[in-house]
Amino acid sequence: MKIVKIAGVTAALALGVAACGGGETAEPAPAASAAESAPAAAGPKFAGQTLTMWRLGDSNPPAQAYMDDLNAEFQKVTGATVKLEWIPWPQVNDKFTAAAAGGAGPDVTEIGNDQVPLWVSQEALSPITPLTSAGDQAQIPKNLFGLETIDGEVYAVPWGAGTRAVLYRKDWFDELKIEVPKTWDEVTAAAKKIQDEKGKDVDGFAFNGGSDANHLLGAMAWSEGGDYAVKEGDKWVGKLTDPTFKAGFETYTSLVTGGLSGKSRLTQNTVDIRTRFANDKVGMYLTASWDIPGIETDSKGKVKADQLAFFPLPAKTGGEAPAFFGGNDIAVWGTTKNAELAGEYIKLATSKQWADRYAKDGGLLPVYPDTLASLASDPVQAPFAAAFAKARSFPADPNWTEAGETKAVLQNAARSVIEGKASADEALATANKELEDILNQ
Amino acid sequence: MTDTSIARRGGGSASAPSGRPRRSHRPQKASGLNPKLIPYVLLIPGLAVIAALLLYPMIQVFVISFQKVGIPQIRDVNPKPADWVGWENYTKVFENDIFWSSLRNTVSFAVIAVTLTLAVGTAVGVLLNQLSKRMSTLVIVGIMSAWAVPPVAQGVIWRWLFDAEAGIINWALNLLPDFLSNALFGRADWTGEPWTNEAFTIYLILILMVLWSSFPFVAVSVLAGLKGIPTELYEAARVDGSSPWRTFWQITFPLLKPVFAVLTILSIIWDFKVFSQLYTLMNGPTVREAFNLSVFSFSEAFKAPPKMGSGAAIAVILTIILLIVTAFYVRQMLKSEELR
Repeated sequence: MKIVKIAGVTAALALGVAACGGGETAEPAPAASAAESAPAAAGPKFAGQTLTMWRLGDSNPPAQAYMDDLNAEFQKVTGATVKLEWIPWPQVNDKFTAAAAGGAGPDVTEIGNDQVPLWVSQEALSPITPLTSAGDQAQIPKNLFGLETIDGEVYAVPWGAGTRAVLYRKDWFDELKIEVPKTWDEVTAAAKKIQDEKGKDVDGFAFNGGSDANHLLGAMAWSEGGDYAVKEGDKWVGKLTDPTFKAGFETYTSLVTGGLSGKSRLTQNTVDIRTRFANDKVGMYLTASWDIPGIETDSKGKVKADQLAFFPLPAKTGGEAPAFFGGNDIAVWGTTKNAELAGEYIKLATSKQWADRYAKDGGLLPVYPDTLASLASDPVQAPFAAAFAKARSFPADPNWTEAGETKAVLQNAARSVIEGKASADEALATANKELEDILNQ
Repeated sequence: MTDTSIARRGGGSASAPSGRPRRSHRPQKASGLNPKLIPYVLLIPGLAVIAALLLYPMIQVFVISFQKVGIPQIRDVNPKPADWVGWENYTKVFENDIFWSSLRNTVSFAVIAVTLTLAVGTAVGVLLNQLSKRMSTLVIVGIMSAWAVPPVAQGVIWRWLFDAEAGIINWALNLLPDFLSNALFGRADWTGEPWTNEAFTIYLILILMVLWSSFPFVAVSVLAGLKGIPTELYEAARVDGSSPWRTFWQITFPLLKPVFAVLTILSIIWDFKVFSQLYTLMNGPTVREAFNLSVFSFSEAFKAPPKMGSGAAIAVILTIILLIVTAFYVRQMLKSEELR
């Protein structure tokens, strides 16, 4: 057993070493040359060439308009046309897997910041370190590159930061005379009142047990002072059995056991919840502001943006809960044949002008500090800016995606507690061991 | 082209069992081929296809199950050589709790589903044999259309039927008079009852679904077998005053044994590796305690980050279990054939 584990770790290390070796030897030239040739790129140097770009999420009018403008600008500068494809979030990992294995990948892709370590470990991204130290990009704070820097190489550039806040039906709150909740007790009271008035099948505050469940669970656990795991030396030590994490976990499961969310939807993710929200079946849920255009589309215009608003998730212990430090990055795909052009695209997309507009149009927070500072007075963005100040992230490890999404370790633990098959202590002890095994493999 | 012409010319002589004296030497001379070899030559095209489509992938799966294989090893552009890890994939799989629950689910599902499919299929087959020609055609067309539904569509249909809020099953259960519902299930309110949260109810639906979609094949095969049994036997039984139950076990069952043997083996193989229905019913691999070995193998091998080594190891284990079960069954079958 011990030998097996050691062998596993060795193999993982060997792969890691091989990974960075491969990265250096395979594609050193493109990134470097992209930086060098930057001044010369003005002009139709790449005329007639085509660049494939993957955007993640659903295409909605403001995002589509942004991409049209950005791609037109790119064509003006470089002469190359951009082929744009939209990949819905829940399919991202499957699409990336297929693209990395089959070779039919894009040249440039948007990527969730917490997914970067995984796809670097699978050698699906090219290093773009020189890009980040010159031009506008040098102004992006270095602490935003935490997940993107692996073994001294940067693999993706932050494009927009996203934190989560609670999206609620403002029209229902007004109608039922509910004040915007400032404490967790007020949230549960509001949820109950919504269910009483709007029907038993409405989720007052929707439970998320799908692939992105940890955004909700994490916020609750962090607000109690808990965390998933910490790195001690070169090993991850699980912290799920700590009383602090357990307290957050119990708040999370109490959404269902306390009746705020239906027992029949334990595996729904944010996209599923959003669909129900658009159909008047959800009162509140934790999400980011990019959901609003989708809700308008899903409800066929019946639920409009002015009926919706956000407030920061209150912590059970008082104050605002720390939100998940999410963000969207943009990266060069590892097997691109056109790395120089791809680098040019990233330079343009993450330049101050275009990154600021990306954040503004997409409902994200800008990565440029002075633009961010100007948002504190914006009523729509203020809840997010407030949450951003306290943002936390998941264990920065390539294997986190396996624990958090593929194996759904904590989602399964929560389900076994909700179904009454295990106590919170038992479920978390099992989950802790599994989390350690996955992170340390 | 040459192959077929040889085969066609050789075909005439091959029909006579080799080794016996031949009346004509002409075909042998013309082809210049030893007649003993002709059957093997005839097998070559088939074997080549099987080797390319089945044997090669099987060997690959076996090899990969001893390796650590991820995206860097299988991609098109400068793939890396795979690391040989020995039995590590297997030991890790055996240490995994999900493997044991998957194994339990796979085996118990197969036992229940195969038994039910054969029982219901045979019953319907016997019934079809009693019906008038027009009526039996109508029933056959009806049940075969269930059989013809593609597996993924089956999964979606049954998931909708059992949907917690909009499903017809909860609606129908709610229509039951309260006293009846209470007497049967100990509850009267079925609103929002979740069916796909836990393994037990998922498999309840899966068994119904697989039974619904696979009994028609059994029924029609049994019907075909029944048509081959001489009616005199049944007339004799009736004259002797045999009950229908006894007639079935004394006449129908022994005569249809070869049919049942084939149907059982096929059903075992199909039900052991059921994948599409379960996957669509679960709506993706989230409810882990409801995995069977196929879904477990898939989620290991193809969900990010892909671990094709352990996925392959699970597939090899599943194959070996199937081989043992089928070999055992085929042996039993051959033994009883000899006795007869």
